[in-house]
Amino acid sequence: MSEPSSKSGIDARFVRLPSIAERKLGRDYTAPIRLDPRILDQMQQTISELGSKYAETLAAQIALLAPLIERACTGIAEARAQLYSIVHDVRGLAGTFGHPIVGSFAKSLCGYMESCSNLDPTIMRFHIEAMRDALEDPHPDAGLARETLRSLDLLIDATSVEKSRTERSTG
Amino acid sequence: MTTPTIHSSELFASLKVLVVDDSLEMRRLLTALLSVMGIGEIICASDGAAGLRLFSERAPDLIITDGAMQPMDGYEMTRAIRAMHNPGDPPGQGGDVPVLMLSGHMGADIVTRARDEGVTDYIVKPVTPALLYERLLEAVSKPVHVVETPTWRGPSPTRRLVAREAEAPLNIKPQ
Repeated sequence: MSEPSSKSGIDARFVRLPSIAERKLGRDYTAPIRLDPRILDQMQQTISELGSKYAETLAAQIALLAPLIERACTGIAEARAQLYSIVHDVRGLAGTFGHPIVGSFAKSLCGYMESCSNLDPTIMRFHIEAMRDALEDPHPDAGLARETLRSLDLLIDATSVEKSRTERSTG
Repeated sequence: MTTPTIHSSELFASLKVLVVDDSLEMRRLLTALLSVMGIGEIICASDGAAGLRLFSERAPDLIITDGAMQPMDGYEMTRAIRAMHNPGDPPGQGGDVPVLMLSGHMGADIVTRARDEGVTDYIVKPVTPALLYERLLEAVSKPVHVVETPTWRGPSPTRRLVAREAEAPLNIKPQ
């Protein structure tokens, strides 16, 4: 079941335990080779049922973002944290409920907020507008979304370079 | 068609799963999906500290946790759980419980941190039914390999941990 480790000099041992399934059901348990399509269908159905309610939540969340931009960009920590919390939530859930493009814009915005101490209101606003537009469009264009994401990346890079230049010249 | 799933039904019904996520919507979603899968008992916490308390009180078979949470995040909670093990404890205690982390981050540094703290499996949001089902089944079906030191017991911190991601068409990353 276990063997000591002598290589590292640390008092460590490796342990192999039976699976949880074997511990629960005995050694005769065999895992299914494939996922049960009936369960997968039911899970997908559940997501569809929750999806309409989630769409309302998502719209309400996105509506909360724009009024927070100005305060978040002027360094008010509470506004920034609230805005990030909402966008982080959207990033994690929108794709599951059939809004992958909204989720991608949210992911891009989260990445920007995580890497930047002084937020740029234009970048923030463009992201939030892109999220809102993708949500309102019943058939959002994935190609256009990719182009928009690329443009946002370029804008972030350009703004970052400009800020560094300004900081160097004033510092 | 797949093989009969009588075994997985019985297995899932016997499981107690702890869900830790600060998003109410995510807790609702995971609870609904786990219920459909037939999980016997689902308990929820909204941050790592509450998750840690429920872990001690309710001894779940498996944990599904978010990464970033306040005041205690999923990484810190996992580390605390891995440190709970006392040599001589029976199997299935803190160090042995699979921890599936659901996170929006997929950077190598974040995944490495998750591995170092004792996370068993790392799943990138957004989660899909197939991804959740597959990772949960794998976690409970495979033998558990752990490393034990006097102060820690959990998955090997030197193993390769892969960030599992749902397949297209959900991804629309810039090309």
